[in-house]
Amino acid sequence: MAEAVKVVDDVTFEDLLANPYPVFKRVRDLGPVVKVEAANIMMVTRFDDIMAIERDPETFSSVNPQSLLNTVIGPNLMRKDGADHARERAAIDPSLRPGVVKRCWAEPMQAICADVISRIEHKGEAELFEDLAAPIAARALCDILGIDGVDWPTMVLWSQSLIDGSGNYSHNPEIARKAKEAARGVESAVNRMLPHHRDNPNASMLSSMLQAGQTTEQIYANIKVAIGGGLNEPRDSILTLILGLLQNPDQLARIRAEPSLWGQAFEEAVRWISPIGMYPRRLTRDVEISGTLVREGEQVGLCVGAANHDDRRFSDPEKFDVFREKKSHLAFGAGSHFCAGTWVSRALVSQIAVPMVFERLRNLRLKAPELVRVRGWVFRGPTHMPVVWDA
Amino acid sequence: MPTIRFLLAGGEELAVEALNGRSLMETALENSVPGIVAECNGSAACATCHVVLPDQIMSALGPISEHENDMLDFAEAPREAGSRLSCQIKVSDILDNVAVRIPSA
Repeated sequence: MAEAVKVVDDVTFEDLLANPYPVFKRVRDLGPVVKVEAANIMMVTRFDDIMAIERDPETFSSVNPQSLLNTVIGPNLMRKDGADHARERAAIDPSLRPGVVKRCWAEPMQAICADVISRIEHKGEAELFEDLAAPIAARALCDILGIDGVDWPTMVLWSQSLIDGSGNYSHNPEIARKAKEAARGVESAVNRMLPHHRDNPNASMLSSMLQAGQTTEQIYANIKVAIGGGLNEPRDSILTLILGLLQNPDQLARIRAEPSLWGQAFEEAVRWISPIGMYPRRLTRDVEISGTLVREGEQVGLCVGAANHDDRRFSDPEKFDVFREKKSHLAFGAGSHFCAGTWVSRALVSQIAVPMVFERLRNLRLKAPELVRVRGWVFRGPTHMPVVWDA
Repeated sequence: MPTIRFLLAGGEELAVEALNGRSLMETALENSVPGIVAECNGSAACATCHVVLPDQIMSALGPISEHENDMLDFAEAPREAGSRLSCQIKVSDILDNVAVRIPSA
């Protein structure tokens, strides 16, 4: 007989924000599907369950017309399935696939990283969130989207405002206002850029969408998705990879001696602290998830951050270990919604930004380990990381 | 029902009965063929279902899409003349008794 969903009601939202991993472990061991009251969601936390769910989009749908994401940014590819999703995904893929990244984006991303590092190199100290990772991620995103004339702090503000608006379950009017303002800002930037891309077809996402015949509404919505979902992940994974290596100098030394290991180091960083920790799916029928019954219409939160620490799959999952047994992780999700920006982030973070940081900031080290802040659970990453080096 | 012979990276052979119309990747997953991860479940987005096919099958299958072609250059195991993403190949009788090799990374 199917089991009922168990409930955890003694965890606070602050517990999740401060460090979700102990909660994830408890929930993972308690059952395949567990309602966590503080987050008001049924969490799926085991690796194999999430993989199986992502292979069955007909039962576990991304479509949810009531989702705040749709309200804030309009109908978009993250909340579509099947042919509707595939069409919109195919309209952006020509800007994001790995060969295009190499041919079209590697050089500008290299220039951005070099410029950002040049501004701090002589100082001997910096706070890497604000001084390095945020400007690199935001400026790279502008290039790939095909938006110029928007400075990086504005991109950061838009991105955060759209994310906050999509998670504004308490209907806070100030958060809603900021999200609306960001949405309008993005739309006006898109309007300003469209004639240029119409006249000069190129590899940018705006151009790709025009070439694929997407409507202005589709372009608005999916550019907002790309801004909300394409900035903090590379930003956070740049910081996470640097943090993991600064805390493990022996691993850093091996990687610097053998640069082909950078890719592997990046995969371990996003497994260790996954920039996206959870995303939802909605059930289209009653179904048992590893013996636990969940009803049609209910929403489950796929906690990929938890799955990436599932000790059924990864030994010593809390440890940052570039040299652990090689296994696939879920930091980029799975199934048809597998992260479209995967290949850009691999190139930007592991081939360009982080190697350049260690190359140019000599003897880089944490200013004081206790000053490092890592926060969040739906989105998680270092939020404050003061470092020093020999200038 | 064609029989597909998966040649595993370790050298062993795993022969499985396949259903026409399914993808080669789905056939591999249903039979727990090691080395086919297929993270994106058939969307040609992850390049983790890389296989190598014999020349005569490559020509029989017809041209590779621009998207798949690009992905194949970035699969973990180096690309070979017979490289394909198994999610983009529909099982049919022309694959009967064909050796589908899983390249080692």
